[in-house]
Amino acid sequence: MAEVEETLKRIQSQKGVQGIIIVNSEGIPVKTTLDNSSTVHYAGLIHQLVMKARSTVRDIDPQNDLTFLRVRSKKNEIMIAPDKDYFLIVIQNPSD
Amino acid sequence: MSSASVLCRKGKGVTSAQVTRRSNSMVSSVRVGRFSLDSRSKVLEKGHSRTRRQADRVLDDDGNDVTPQPLSQADPSGAYQAKGDRFFVEDITGGSASEQAAATGSFTLPFSRSSFGSSRLSGLSTIESIQKEILYTFSKRDMPISIPDEHKKRDTVEEEVTEEMLKEVIDVYISETDSVSLLDIPSTVMSVDTDESEAIIERNRQYAEVCRNRMGNDKYMERSMQTLSGAAKDKHVQSDAVVMVNTATSASTWDIYDALCSPVPQKTNYPEAVVDMSRSAERSMSVGSTASTATAVSSLKEVDAFGSTSGAESDLQLIMQSETFQNCLLVMEKSILGNTFQPDLAAYRQLPVLEDPDFPVGQRKEETESGGPPALQRLWAFSCELNRGRSVRSMAWNKKNTDLLAVGYGENDSGDLTPGLVCCWSLKNPTWPERVLHCDSAVTSLDFSANNPSRLAVGMLNGNIAIYDVQGREQNSHVVSSSECLKKHLGPVWQLRYNQQGLSFAGEKVEELFSVSAEGRISRWFEFNTGLDCTDVMKLKRIHNTKKKARGNNTEKTGSVLTAMTPGLCFDFYPTDPSVYLVGTQEGLIHSCSSSNNQHFLDTFRKHFCAVNCVAWCPLSPDVFLSCSSDWTIQLWKLDQLNPVLGFTSIQRAVCDIKWSPKWATIFGAVNEGQLEIWDLNSSFLDPVAVQPAAPGVTMKSLLFTSRADCVLVGDSDGQVTVYQLKNLRVGESSQVDILQDLCSEASS
Repeated sequence: MAEVEETLKRIQSQKGVQGIIIVNSEGIPVKTTLDNSSTVHYAGLIHQLVMKARSTVRDIDPQNDLTFLRVRSKKNEIMIAPDKDYFLIVIQNPSD
Repeated sequence: MSSASVLCRKGKGVTSAQVTRRSNSMVSSVRVGRFSLDSRSKVLEKGHSRTRRQADRVLDDDGNDVTPQPLSQADPSGAYQAKGDRFFVEDITGGSASEQAAATGSFTLPFSRSSFGSSRLSGLSTIESIQKEILYTFSKRDMPISIPDEHKKRDTVEEEVTEEMLKEVIDVYISETDSVSLLDIPSTVMSVDTDESEAIIERNRQYAEVCRNRMGNDKYMERSMQTLSGAAKDKHVQSDAVVMVNTATSASTWDIYDALCSPVPQKTNYPEAVVDMSRSAERSMSVGSTASTATAVSSLKEVDAFGSTSGAESDLQLIMQSETFQNCLLVMEKSILGNTFQPDLAAYRQLPVLEDPDFPVGQRKEETESGGPPALQRLWAFSCELNRGRSVRSMAWNKKNTDLLAVGYGENDSGDLTPGLVCCWSLKNPTWPERVLHCDSAVTSLDFSANNPSRLAVGMLNGNIAIYDVQGREQNSHVVSSSECLKKHLGPVWQLRYNQQGLSFAGEKVEELFSVSAEGRISRWFEFNTGLDCTDVMKLKRIHNTKKKARGNNTEKTGSVLTAMTPGLCFDFYPTDPSVYLVGTQEGLIHSCSSSNNQHFLDTFRKHFCAVNCVAWCPLSPDVFLSCSSDWTIQLWKLDQLNPVLGFTSIQRAVCDIKWSPKWATIFGAVNEGQLEIWDLNSSFLDPVAVQPAAPGVTMKSLLFTSRADCVLVGDSDGQVTVYQLKNLRVGESSQVDILQDLCSEASS
């Protein structure tokens, strides 16, 4: 448990990391380092995106499953690690 | 409706009779204007009226009791009646009803009551017909029209249907009441074949004649009439709204696959402590289409404040404790670091560096392949605050996974005997080690096993050897330790090596752990009873030689009778014959020994006059080895010559470590305290081709080449392991072995 906290702190202190959000299976953010409105915004939108991505992957081959999703945009990169119980979302701007 | 008319007739009889008035109830007829009877009409029966049924009695003129009996039992089954029990509010003319009824003789229409007593199996053997009507009369004046509560009670009384009752044979008697025709309109059309047809035809003909004669005939006159239209009456009926719920679901390919193949995981471990209605409603709605899910989710966001409900808190705890979450965090960390370190890692793996299209790094000079002198470019450094200030004593690559590096840290600069530390680093995460192992005392050497790639042998300053298994994530996963062994080393274990010697019965290579320590013993270790035990392979006896006296070696006694032992500092196994090895001692001598003979050395190479810090066989060219020593020199030897072929010296500092490049036979790297040097024997004997000075205040301690890439790792006294890339080395594609051989033969001749 302490190790998990430590790892989270380390991730938070990496270069360019803007925020970390942990969302539970219902789409409710349970832990975040951003402000409330952004968190809620991200959580809702990313939930849908992950559902769609997962559905796509599994439609092509039902034995397959989504393990990691990275969205690279002009300003930053959103990395999403989905699982059946939670999502972990990290927003990083690597050139900071 | 057959029974209705029966009652009507009865009712007629009633009204013509005298109506007796009872104390608490009045039987009076009720006139209704418009009465809609449909099969589902649910009329509240006046429960209280029924209970007082006994009180209602009708007597005719003679005083006979002609009270109409109910056609059905008073079954307390209000099951169907509970739904939509509504009161038919008739426009009942209250006061005048009774008088009018008596006067006009209008019959009472019964309120229909569908007693659904047949819906339940009762103990009765007969089931009466479903549609029963019961005559209900009530007085509006006396009794307020209210919905009785007994209905509700009656709804809940149901008899339990037992198995026996289900299997019982029930006789069903179906009886039919008399047919009553309410409307009889005889047909106006008749077949020609019947008997009366002739009369009808005759009449028709006469009528046609009359019609013809009508025009202009005085007999017939036209007159208009106006019909009175009766008073229209509004009647309102209210029924329950029919609740419609849309449900839809889309089954995708993987939904079907999931249902068929994998068991659906039940989320029973989630505490359903707080489930507010909105959330459960959201769950049920989420079965529907994705669009509705989206709106439901987003609406839920606004409703629920995150983290405030206890359900979210416990979710967080569960998530944080789950195994997959930890793995997921690690993967995420590596991805983030991958972004950050991408140029360096790509250079390491000799992949093209991806340039960020939005932030073009124009300032970076793109060094061309051909131009520029050989140089060392710093890529990154493995360091974290755990090992800040500790000096790096030893480094080793994992034999199986060449991305894993084990680094042993010794004491820190001030020389305190702090407990040692071993960190296993992965290339993918230069900021935090994958495994951290705390050891009892400062670590002096380590090596990974080749047969069991997850085993790491660590030699320490206090002479202990411990073998760790680094695969699991537990903190202290050491497998065996030599601390209980009787024959353990008493001095620091300066070098450990796993050596593959010979073949076992199964045909695989037997691997043994060898160590050399400061007390002058070289031992072979094996696991025995959860501990380690060793056998001595060689004892390093001090060779007295008055000519070459070790400088600064105070403990040497010249001409002493006792054969003292000299500390061995390093050793290396001959690549082609694992039973032969070289040992470098603190006196400056290098002995070549065989493991079959533990008394005498095969050969002794003398050149150094200070402690020999490292010996290394060339992996590509046989019989050639290098040695480095604290006397500022590096010597290149051939096995059959007792004198070195070549000697190198650059700056006047002790050379701590030396390693051959695994790819090119003419290149080796050396670390002295002040700088890292790369020597290329092809280019120059006198100077290293590339030099990387150490950071100020930091001395470089150990060196490691990477097998695939052109990189070297340098560990320094500050706890950092820096990765440098060799650039522009101007070597050809071949391994240059022949060049080395030529050089050696040239130099020795």
